[in-house]
This record gives sequence, structure tokens and C-alpha cells, in this order.
Amino acid sequence: MSALFVDGLFFATAITYLAACVAFVAFLGNDKFALAGRLAPGLVAAGAVLHATHIVVSSLVWHVCPVEGIHFAMSVVSLLACAVYLVMRRRYRIDVVGAFVAPLALTFLLASRFVVATEPAQRYRSTILPLHVTANLLGYALFSLAFAAAIAYLLQEKRLKEKRLEGLFRRLPPLDALDRAEHRFLLAGFPLLTIGILTGTYWAHEVESGSVTDIARAVLGYATWALFASVLSLRAALGWRGRRAAYGTIAGFAVAVLVLVVYWIKSIAAPAAVAAAVAVG
Amino acid sequence: MICVVGLSHKTAPVEVREKFATSADVLPLVLARLASRAELKEAMFLSTCNRVEVFASAASPDALEQAVKAVRSVICDHAGVGDADAVLSYFYERTGKEAMRHVFRVAASLDSMVLGEPQILGQVKDAYDAASAAGTLGHYLGRCIHRAFTVAKRVRTETQIGAGSVSISSVAVDLARGIFGDLADHTVLLLGAGEMAEAAAKSLGKGARHIRVCNRSFERGAALAGSIGGDAVQWDALEDELGRADVVVSSTASPTHVVTKDLVKRAMKARKGRTLFFIDIAVPRNVEPSVHGIDNVYVYNVDDLEQQVAEAMKSRKGEAEAAERIVAHELAEFETWARGQSVAPTIVKLRARTRGVLLAELERTLGGRLRHLTEADKAALHQMVESATNKLLHTPTKHLRESSATDDGPDAVQAVKRLFDLPDDPPAEEPPSDETASAADKVSGFPPDPRGDEGLPH
Repeated sequence: MSALFVDGLFFATAITYLAACVAFVAFLGNDKFALAGRLAPGLVAAGAVLHATHIVVSSLVWHVCPVEGIHFAMSVVSLLACAVYLVMRRRYRIDVVGAFVAPLALTFLLASRFVVATEPAQRYRSTILPLHVTANLLGYALFSLAFAAAIAYLLQEKRLKEKRLEGLFRRLPPLDALDRAEHRFLLAGFPLLTIGILTGTYWAHEVESGSVTDIARAVLGYATWALFASVLSLRAALGWRGRRAAYGTIAGFAVAVLVLVVYWIKSIAAPAAVAAAVAVG
Repeated sequence: MICVVGLSHKTAPVEVREKFATSADVLPLVLARLASRAELKEAMFLSTCNRVEVFASAASPDALEQAVKAVRSVICDHAGVGDADAVLSYFYERTGKEAMRHVFRVAASLDSMVLGEPQILGQVKDAYDAASAAGTLGHYLGRCIHRAFTVAKRVRTETQIGAGSVSISSVAVDLARGIFGDLADHTVLLLGAGEMAEAAAKSLGKGARHIRVCNRSFERGAALAGSIGGDAVQWDALEDELGRADVVVSSTASPTHVVTKDLVKRAMKARKGRTLFFIDIAVPRNVEPSVHGIDNVYVYNVDDLEQQVAEAMKSRKGEAEAAERIVAHELAEFETWARGQSVAPTIVKLRARTRGVLLAELERTLGGRLRHLTEADKAALHQMVESATNKLLHTPTKHLRESSATDDGPDAVQAVKRLFDLPDDPPAEEPPSDETASAADKVSGFPPDPRGDEGLPH
């Protein structure tokens, strides 16, 4: 019965996110759907509430702390991304960035379904694990938003360079607002990623695991950190903003997603072992 | 017969048009060149951001083709480009009725990229003033341009074509907002201090944090800065200013690029890649086109902006149709008047001949047998001669006038000339005397243009 309720919440969340995606796409596709554009952030908010409920209920049902299991990791990332988007969308004037956040949330939510939920093996338990996971989840959420802003930026930038200003250009946020939002999300996410990397390195050292996937995960984790560090420092030092920063952000996020893919592969190979390891590092 | 030769936004992109653009100070020179051509009787030169055109009348009705060639060669010579086919492919020519229609449509802003934009009428008026001052306008072309002003006025008042006008300035503001969002944290730099800069400053400057004016003449820049609440800066400080500004509106009359790629590259280093948006409303363009290729720099020229305006104004199609009907109606009236011009000299001569014969006979009789008549009686007889002339010539005049609207006009004129042994016409389209003009108007039924210069836009 409880499992059915959890499943019900899961699908209700997925459908709400899907509805938000459809509303955003309709709005971006045609001026006639201005109402859909206004409703879409509301659908993201509704999805986020259902999502949070789903996480809380399922963690109670399965007796798993949300910040401890990989099962929730991706799910929580997308929830946090939605939450940050909902809080920041007015401040940064990036309402339409929801058009990228909603599909990301849906993808992460569905992806989390493929990762088998298990209790972390006792030998992987660590006091810094919750800190590691929390930092990484928040970091990922912010990078998801930076990624979404970067995609929107590139779309806007291309249109401005090609001087095609009808339609989509008018419905996307101002170019500079997207660049600024992308930068701030990166700036906020980077210290969290750094904490994630440091705690992950320390924890991996303690666990002394040397499997191929662990090494790949660590390497990709460091690569993500290095990419985001480069994007931020080149921007500060040489003024690499706009298109270059957007490409760097997208590349960094792509590598970060690879880390999650490694987890996923590992979860298929050895569900019990994966349950303890989370995100980068 | 008039002809129109030129190029516009419809046939030539800005990179071609800017080669032909002519500033007001060299206009007398171009007009003098046109006047020196024997193929042309009258000429007017119109140069705006969107068009470079010559309206001219041929020295004789049969020499229209030569007139068109002459105009083309003057335009190309003036621009310093050969009249190679590649260049000529950008030109269009209209003659006769189509030329008149073109003049009317241009003045009424129906040929503008932005339908109904109000500036063109003032620009045509300026061209008209310059041609009048240079003495290159005669009765026929002058009348045609005057009629075009009337058409423009009617179109403006009888249709909604100019209502809620989307201007280049408003599109530029929209675009700047699409890039920067709120302009309250941004600086606008005006390059040049002319009317265009002022218009842009009024719309862009409202929301901006700072407006700075950079002009070659510092005093003029300072005057504009003072009137819009901005700061004037020295021309030498342009590179530094590009480092500070976010939106640059350039409208200088410089014939070469004021803002080069190298200059912007240096400025972008100084501004650490912050977005820079150029609105280049000058023709010839002030900003080197390759600047648009630099990362985080966007250059929009007058064609780009007008394209956006035109997109926004597609809904005005219905108004444009109503305006075209006004043009067609006015064109028909003007044609009637113009045709009347071909019979008017004959009618005037016929009247003069008839009146002359009758008056001569009257004077002879008054000097002989009727010598005893009082002055009042003599005056009554003179009046009788006038009435007799009018009554006698009423029917032939009517027939001549009617024939002028058909292909029989020239035959009728020849027949009357032969029957009454009238002298040949002076050279075609000679500006008629006031009396002739008024007779011609009377003949054609075309009312004299009621508007003096006072009604004309500047």
C-alpha cells in the first residue's frame, strides 16, 4: 500500500513536470500560448511540491536518509534545481529558464528510478557522507540551472548574431540576464562542488576502493571541478564571458552528468556497493 | 514627361547605398551637374538613409531614354563608381505615369521600409527646397512634387498608416532591452550629435543610467548633452568611452568607418568581454561590419533595424491599401492636369489670336466711324469683344480639353494650329508665365495648389 502511494507520487510528479515541459515548449514555440508561459512556472512549483513529498514519503517507507543513498541523489538534485529556479526566477528574470529546468528535473527523476534503492552497506557508512552528498546535490542543482541558463544564452546569442529577432528571441530572457544568472549559479555551486570533491577524496581514501568505476568517477569529478574552475577564473581574469563561458558551463555539466552515469552503471553492476557512494568524488 | 532613377532599400543593401549617399552640403554640386546635362529640363536629388533618387523631366518628350541615361551617369559619376552592369543592377527607373506614381508613393511613405514613417516627407521637402534654390525645378516637376505633398498629407490624415508608429528608435530600445534587460544600470554613448542622435537619445536615454555624447565638434556635442541631461566627451576619448558604454548609437556624417574592428577589440579587452551593442543608424555606416563578428559585440545597422520595424508593422497592410487608393486618385487628377498642359499653350494662343483680331477690328472702327462714342460706350464694346471671344471659343476649347485626355489630343492640336495659323509651341515644358499657367489650370480643371510653402513640412 505504501509502495503504491510512493509510486503514485512518483508518477504524479513526473506528469506534472512533463506538463510544465509541454507548457514551456508551447510558449516558446508560438506567441499564441502566452498563457501556457505564465502557467508553466506554476506547474514546476506543483511538480516540486509533489517531488518533495515523494522523497520524504519514500525515504520514510524505505528508511533511507535522502542524502545518503544514490537512489535519491539524482532525484534530489532535480528537486533542488527546481527549488532554486523558483526562488531565483524573478530576481534574475529567468522565468523561461524553467523550459530547460523542467525537462532536466523530469530526466533526473526518471533516471533515479533506474538506480536500485538499497541501504548503504555498513562498511561504507561515514560521518562525512551526508556532508559530501548534500554539498554535491546542491552543487549539482546549481550547475543544472547554470547549464539551463547557458543553453538559453546560446540560443539568444545565435539569434542576435544572425539577426533573427522574431519569435523565440522575444520570449527568452535578456542575453545579459542569462549570462549573469549562469555565472552566479556557477559561483554558488563551485564551493559546494569543492566541498564535495574534498570530502569525496577523503572518504574514498578511507574506504580504499580501487575499482575501475571508482577511479573513473574520481577522475570525472576532478575534471568537472577543473572545468568549472577554468570557466570562473578565465571569466574573472580574461573576460571570457558570454558564449565561451556558456560552452565551458555546458562542458562542465556534461562531465558532471557522466559522473552520475558512472554511478548508474555501477548500480546496475553492484547495487549494494553503489548505495553508499554518491555523486562526485 | 518625368523620370525617376535611383536605388533604394528595396533594390540595394546598405553597403551599396552608402556609396551613393550624399550629404546636404554637396547637394548643390550634384544639382549643378544635373542641370548641366542638355538631356534634362528639370531635376531634383533625394538622398536619405534608404534611397538615393533623382526625379527629372526630359528636355523633350521623345528624349526620355536619353534623360534616364544622363541621370544614371550623373549619379554614378558623383558616387565615383563606374556604370558597370553590376552597379546598374541596383538601379531602378520609372518613366511617365509610373514615375509620378513613384514620387507620390515615396512622399506618402508607401515606398518606405517602415510604412507610414513620417521622416520621408520632410526629406522630400528638403530636396525640393534644395532644387528650388539651385534653380533646377521648373513648372512641371515642381507641380508634381507639390502634388506629392498633398498626397502625403491626405494619406496621413485619411488613413491610420502613421498611427502608433513603430520607429527605429523604439525598435532599438526593444533590442537593447533584449540584450541588457533593464537599461537603468547601463550607459548609452552617442557618437555624433545630429538629429538622429537626439531622437535616439530621447527614447534610449530615458531608462539609461548615463548618456555620454562624443562628437567631433565638442561644442555641438556639449549642446546636445546639455539638452538631454548627459555628459559630453572629447572625440579623442572614443576608445576609453567604448570601454565604459554598453549601448553605442552612432550617427555621424563620416564617410569612413569611425569604429573599426581593431578599436573594438581593444575596447573589449578593457571591458573584460562585457556585452557591447552598436546601433549604427548612419549611412554611410560608422561601424565596420566585421565588428559584429567579435564575441559579445552586436552591430545593428539601419537595414537591420528597419527590418525589425517592418516586421512589427505588417498589420498596416489594410491602411496601405487605402493609401494606395488615394495615390491612384491623385495620380489620375494629376494626369488630367498634365495632359491639359499639352493643349494649354494652343488654347492660350487661339484665344490670343481671336481676341487680337476682334480687338484690332474694334480699334479700327472706334478710330473711324464710331469716333463719337463715349468712353463708357467704348468700354462696353471692349467687354462685348471679351464675351464674344469666350463664347466663340467655348466649344473648341471644350473639345480640345476633352481630346487631351485621349490619344486624339496631338491631332486636334495640330488641326487647330493649321486652321488658325498659330505659331509653333515654345520648347516642351517651358515654365509657363503666370497667365499661361492659370489658363492651363483653367483649361484642365485642375485647381491651383492651395498650399503655399507654409504648409510644407520641414
